[in-house]
Amino acid sequence: MKTYSVQVGDVRRELPVVEVAPGVSVALFNMLGDTDVTEAAGRELAARLPADIDTLVTPEVKAVPLAHVISRYSGKPYIVIRKTQKPYMVEPVVREVVSITTGKPQILVLDGFDVDKIRGKKVAIVDDVVSSGGTLRSLTGIIEEVGGTVAAVVAVFTEGDERPEVLSLGHLPLFK
Amino acid sequence: MTNKPFSVTVGTVTRELPTIQVGEMGRVPLVELIGDVEFTSAVADALRPLLPPETEVMLTVVTNSLPLTHALSERTGVPYVVVRKKRRTYMRDPLIQEVPSMTLGVNETLWLDGRHASSLKGKRVTIVVDVVASGGTVEAMQRLVDRAGGQLVGCVAAFRQGEPKMPVRYLQELPKMI
Repeated sequence: MKTYSVQVGDVRRELPVVEVAPGVSVALFNMLGDTDVTEAAGRELAARLPADIDTLVTPEVKAVPLAHVISRYSGKPYIVIRKTQKPYMVEPVVREVVSITTGKPQILVLDGFDVDKIRGKKVAIVDDVVSSGGTLRSLTGIIEEVGGTVAAVVAVFTEGDERPEVLSLGHLPLFK
Repeated sequence: MTNKPFSVTVGTVTRELPTIQVGEMGRVPLVELIGDVEFTSAVADALRPLLPPETEVMLTVVTNSLPLTHALSERTGVPYVVVRKKRRTYMRDPLIQEVPSMTLGVNETLWLDGRHASSLKGKRVTIVVDVVASGGTVEAMQRLVDRAGGQLVGCVAAFRQGEPKMPVRYLQELPKMI
């Protein structure tokens, strides 16, 4: 199997290269369950986080442990934006987004409980991989809708196009 | 209607839990570890001695239990595998397991990627979750461990909030209703 080698802090991983569309392959980076990579990435990204950030915001699911680690190192609180609406949410803010990886429309939901933690705050969006930027646009939309400012985007990797606005530890190419 | 706060203390950390109204029956206290590093760390410290020492892999489920399981993994060096509640495109030969329906009309399906299933094979596995209520989800996870060829050695939860059939090691009991 073809692999692509990446370095995250002091940890090296061989990512499997898998075909996601005819003639297009990606290096599959799934850090969920990889505690060493999550710790290394969290430490490196916390060190690069701009000092004036108030709050971290991450989309459910894969980057949740990463946000936990960045929060632990930086002391900044983190909020998870959900992909399903829960019955216990109070006045949730909902946005629809079309996922590039699944092709299906999905929703992003911010619990009303968390609105005060974003309003008037400088927010850093945390994700594992920033690829097409679709999730990023929807997250930015929700954050701005409730009165927050997206002051930084941090990710372990960017993918496809170069994204100088994203603070990342590396870049994953598309294999064509 | 009284709206008395309900608080829990783990180690040196005390949290007032939000409660949600359920019909006219009462209010259910809700544990939230997501977003709370201090509480997650206190719970992981307290839960660590309850993890069976022979555990080779922990199995958890999205999403609320993720920070806790990561924190346990970071403390013990024991890796973990995550069960999803939706099919993901990258999954290969996933194991699919229905959760016994607890609430009428609400069915839940668990998905374990084939690659992750193979990492449970022949391993001593402990299920880790933040809260066990009726136990339906952890029973379905037990089935996944069996089907993957792993050996279940325990189930640990931060809180028990119901009467699961499976034996569970937990820190504290929470009332289902207050």
